[in-house]
Amino acid sequence: MAEKLLGVLAEFENQDRLLDAAKATRKQGYRRLDAFTPYPVEGMSEVLKLHDHRIGWLSVIGGFAGFFGMLAIQLYVNADYPLNVGNRPILAWPAFFVVDFEIMILGAVLTPVIGMFYLNGLPQLYHPLFATPRFSLASDDRFFLYVDSADPKFDSGKTSAFLKSLKPVTVEEVLE
Amino acid sequence: MVERALPLGETLHEISVDVGRVPLRFPAKVPWAIAMVLSLMLVGLFLVSITYLFARGVGVWGLNIPVNWAFAIHLYVWWLGLGHAGTLISAMLLLMGQDWRNSLNRFAEAMTLCAVVCAGIEPIIHLGRPWFFYWMFPYPATMGVWPQFRSPLEWDIWAVLTYLTVSFVFWYIGVVPDLATVRDRARKRGWRVFFGIFSLGWRGSARHWDRWRRCYRTVAVIAVPLVVSVHSEVSLLFASGQIPGWHSTIFPPYFVLGAAFSGFAMVAMIAIVMRHVFQLGGLVTERHLDVLAKVLLASGLMTAYGYVFEIWDGLYSGNVHEIATIHDRFFGIYAWSFWGAVFFNFLPLQALWLRSVRRNTMLLFAIATSVVAGMWMERYMILTTSLYKDFLPSSFGVYHASFWDWSTYIGMIGVFFTPFLLFVRYIPSISIFEDKEVLAREHEEARRG
Repeated sequence: MAEKLLGVLAEFENQDRLLDAAKATRKQGYRRLDAFTPYPVEGMSEVLKLHDHRIGWLSVIGGFAGFFGMLAIQLYVNADYPLNVGNRPILAWPAFFVVDFEIMILGAVLTPVIGMFYLNGLPQLYHPLFATPRFSLASDDRFFLYVDSADPKFDSGKTSAFLKSLKPVTVEEVLE
Repeated sequence: MVERALPLGETLHEISVDVGRVPLRFPAKVPWAIAMVLSLMLVGLFLVSITYLFARGVGVWGLNIPVNWAFAIHLYVWWLGLGHAGTLISAMLLLMGQDWRNSLNRFAEAMTLCAVVCAGIEPIIHLGRPWFFYWMFPYPATMGVWPQFRSPLEWDIWAVLTYLTVSFVFWYIGVVPDLATVRDRARKRGWRVFFGIFSLGWRGSARHWDRWRRCYRTVAVIAVPLVVSVHSEVSLLFASGQIPGWHSTIFPPYFVLGAAFSGFAMVAMIAIVMRHVFQLGGLVTERHLDVLAKVLLASGLMTAYGYVFEIWDGLYSGNVHEIATIHDRFFGIYAWSFWGAVFFNFLPLQALWLRSVRRNTMLLFAIATSVVAGMWMERYMILTTSLYKDFLPSSFGVYHASFWDWSTYIGMIGVFFTPFLLFVRYIPSISIFEDKEVLAREHEEARRG
């Protein structure tokens, strides 16, 4: 079976070199880039133009759903089984607010967390990158820049040569 | 000069090694095994106690009218309070950009989880028929009844369940990148599979980090008001009733601060033990202990303010029952718990004004222990002194903790420590990637001078 080339991976020693390399690579016109780092590198999202605002909105939506959903439940159960306690009001808004607040928070936390994993495509226990020999260092102390072969400018020879010109520690091809 | 959170001599790789070796090549097998055996013995005691409790009913505790809330409820408040510091350290200090938190947050969050589980068990075993605890949920029952959402007792289960879920989720999304680090460092196949599955295939992609960071910060922003709301809600269990000594608007902030206070003390104790046993002095430095001690002192003084205000509140009310309760707290049969709380929570704490004490692990540990004990007495005092004499002298009574009260409590300590010990054994107990982030920033600052 012929192995398909998925992209090229360049390894750098620290975050500054990676950031410089990422900027240079984007300047060359590459767009399908990714970086793999041991921790979230400050400024990387700006360089790669990654801004997924959906996470925040998911939280807002989840919070609203939790708040109004729980409010509806509380109104319904009190209307369905009206219990008169010393003639206190059946629909007691201040009393409902406590549980409402908690469930609003539950919704506002669970939706962005589930959404984050879903949008990231996780869990995905195997990925071709894991088969690349030095990739395991991405969770230790090395910083990787990845150019995807789906990039319109991608050319296996030229792209590797360009990445090598950025003075990385190694350049590796990622095969399927 | 601003003091650094981490020594500059460390490299990113050393952090992976220092923290990652703990689960992979556990450094303290013998002390861990001894602690685990003790802890499991306590779990055994707990199981015996609740078996007897379930067979005979809550009368096996010293409960009776008028004191029908005692150990189970006071410990519920106490455990939950211990847990709150974990969330506060993780969430509030993250948002305030306090780098020193990164060496403490992970095990503080684990402590939160274990403490919330203990807190959640307490009110359930206090139910006369604990197997019906699910009646608290609004499900379409054949009897056609619904839970009473206008009652603080019903609010409670929602607050605790939300808190447990959010604490778990916050802890887990924080630990996923570190599980990936340990996965990549593991050599044995079993470990690789174990960490591989629980790290969900995390690979540190910039896209993933971008969403992850937004998500983590969002949860952190929400977790801070959650802590405040949960413990405020707990205080409403008391403050919504008209029992003298409970019926006060000071209760929500007073409870939240007391909770944070006891929790910070617990974090300090655990930090000192872990740093010693796992030789993590390079990551949990004296500066960490120093800052923790300052936070402890500050929250302790706020709690002390709560004491003053609580007394003032009662006196100013002019209500004879309120004043009688204050008198009972000062001079009644439970006066030991009031003066004990004042003593243990306030006096030793004052030593923390001195820098040399803040950086002395033995003294800090002793002061933190005193705080945890003092808060225990405070919660006990709030319950018993208010309940044993309410309005009518004909309904006065006394409460004494029975053997089974104590055995359930001591056993519960095992329920707390067993999962916590499993956590320090199998999960990286200090945040690897967040410490690397701090170190990279410090290197950057050092370069710029």
